[in-house]
Amino acid sequence: MKKLVALVLAAVMLLSLTSVFADAAEEKITLTLWDIATESDANRPAYNAALAYIAEKYPNIEIKEVSTENQQYKIDIAAAMADPSTLPDIFFTWSGAFLGDFVEEGNVYALNDVYANLETKDSLPEVMLANGTFGGKSYAVPLTMNIVAMFANMDLLAKAGWDKVPETYEELTKCCDDLVAAGITPFGCSGKETWCVTEYLEPIMEKFVGAETLGNIFNHVEGATWADADIKASVDAFQDMIKKGYFDANGMSLGNDEVKANFIAGKYAFYQNGTWNCGEVNKAGENFKVALFPVMNAERATYKQVIGGPSDSLAVSAHSPNAELAAKIAFELGKEICHAGYLAGSGLPAWTPDYDTSEVLPLVNDVAAIVAEAEGMVLFGDTAMGGEDKDKYLAYVDQVYSCELDGQSFMDGLAGDLW
Amino acid sequence: MKKTFSYKMNIFLFLLPALLLFIGVLIAPIFLSAYYGFMNKKGAGGAETWIGFANYTEIFTSTSLGFGKALGNSLLLALFSVGIQLPLALVLALKLGKGVRGERGFLSVYFMPVLISTVVIGQLWLKIYNPDYGILNQFLRSIGLGDWLNQKIGVWGTRAAWLSKTNPLALAACFVPILWQYVGYHMLLMYAGVKSVPKDLLEAAQLDGCTEGQVNRFIIIPYIKPILKVSVIFAVTGSLKSFDLIYVLMGQDKNPCDVPSTLMIRMLFSAKRYGMGSAIAVMLILLCFAFALLINIVFKDKEVR
Repeated sequence: MKKLVALVLAAVMLLSLTSVFADAAEEKITLTLWDIATESDANRPAYNAALAYIAEKYPNIEIKEVSTENQQYKIDIAAAMADPSTLPDIFFTWSGAFLGDFVEEGNVYALNDVYANLETKDSLPEVMLANGTFGGKSYAVPLTMNIVAMFANMDLLAKAGWDKVPETYEELTKCCDDLVAAGITPFGCSGKETWCVTEYLEPIMEKFVGAETLGNIFNHVEGATWADADIKASVDAFQDMIKKGYFDANGMSLGNDEVKANFIAGKYAFYQNGTWNCGEVNKAGENFKVALFPVMNAERATYKQVIGGPSDSLAVSAHSPNAELAAKIAFELGKEICHAGYLAGSGLPAWTPDYDTSEVLPLVNDVAAIVAEAEGMVLFGDTAMGGEDKDKYLAYVDQVYSCELDGQSFMDGLAGDLW
Repeated sequence: MKKTFSYKMNIFLFLLPALLLFIGVLIAPIFLSAYYGFMNKKGAGGAETWIGFANYTEIFTSTSLGFGKALGNSLLLALFSVGIQLPLALVLALKLGKGVRGERGFLSVYFMPVLISTVVIGQLWLKIYNPDYGILNQFLRSIGLGDWLNQKIGVWGTRAAWLSKTNPLALAACFVPILWQYVGYHMLLMYAGVKSVPKDLLEAAQLDGCTEGQVNRFIIIPYIKPILKVSVIFAVTGSLKSFDLIYVLMGQDKNPCDVPSTLMIRMLFSAKRYGMGSAIAVMLILLCFAFALLINIVFKDKEVR
């Protein structure tokens, strides 16, 4: 009898021990995620869908997300790099030099091992990792791929007698003149957020000097220089449009969200910005089309050259106590954000779609067609350049928009201060 | 002797945690900033190179950095704070301190902006200044100033865009909410001072036939001079350190309303020049100390006289 009692007791103890280990196995792991998908951001629905997917697939993993507005995020993430203990496990980043600076500081976890063993590796072509690869190691999980496009409100164009988006510079200036005559502001651009000005100036520069030359300048390829007469000409052309009243003067004091809201509300005929806005613009009505800025110098540039590429990414902190797990989750999140973002119209997929794409928005399909035929792609200037170089470049761009500097001063200044 | 030593030891032990916290949170970062100010340090984990006073030389000589302009903006704000904000706060404190109907209500209303988050105030004023639907432009248009608002400034832009980088009134537009926010704060300090003036002094003055203005000038204001000194120090050093509202109203990019703190943040976290950012931080600390000392000397001089 005593033996039986002892056995029962031992069995009960063993069972309780098993439950303890089972509890430990199911212990919740919390991962922190910082991103820019605020409520007004075009990517918010994609993040919601991706986070819901992870919550369902991994009930023992809790993701605590902090979303911050784009401009402020750049400050916050750089401040966190100064004290790596405050870094989140997973963070949104732009590839290129923006991420490169953090990699150089030793704060980013290399993803090669996790990528090599990834089940879904086949749907992420290695070429998509290129902008986040430094010294042979990959540090970024690409999300979507975007380019700069010129969104056009066809209803407003019709009021000025236009039934198509202008394809040449002559047509564009004629169209803008007609719009101004009809009391319609052709363009809206935020002067408060300088990156929005680059969305205008960079395509114009590209359409003057060509994608290869501009890419070489942005990436500081040996021999490339800002001292190019067509750089001067592009600034002069941009300022000529400003001086002719093609831009909303009030835009100088507005943020990008306000300018975008004005465009969607029908205040401007054109809005040139990233294609991550396709979803929002498409939702606003069927009267919108997407096109590229026309060619300014046919000897060096073609219409199908674009600004953009896979830049939006997720990265993992090298100081995360769960770095490997965070890397695996970052890949899964990245794929899901890409999937949902593509369907919601916030960008083209960096991951090859393995799902039904018949519901993709018409504007996104138009962008996909443009990208498929692209004859050159230059990564955004403020992403390609890093640190102080980027700041100097943006300071010059800012002065171009406020017309404090002309083309000559812009060209000379950047050639002197940068290269 | 032993008891005295033990008593002092107890005091030391009780003070030690606070002292360590003070050194760790305030003193050590100042010394670290001073150290980094002599370095060329790129990014948080970047290599450090000793460059001596090069950062400080650049602060005072570089026109592209814009420290001189930023400091000028701060000093102008300090001037407006002392010249407009404090007198306004004093007038309100004198009126309310003597007892008016609904005194408590007025106090709460004037003090409310101090309690509201600066970011919320910034967003509120962004809406007020909005060129299209802002209440300020609507009001100005309704009183017939629409043409003035639509006038072009320089190459392009109109006055209607108050917070535009090309609008020369942008700095003034930034100052208004800053001054408005802290009027209540200074008013409350001064109100407490006015309330502490002994009643018999005021009654004696009234018996001697003093007018209200004479009571204010010869009794209340001299009596609350230590509080006025504190208010002036807070207003001047607060102006030198001003950051949040300008940051919310004008954004993080380089702009004509830059103050040293916005410049410092940009150097630290955007340009990733930790050395330069630290040097600007040190300059700010030194300037705040210098102005506090100067104000103390000015007030001491007057007190002696």
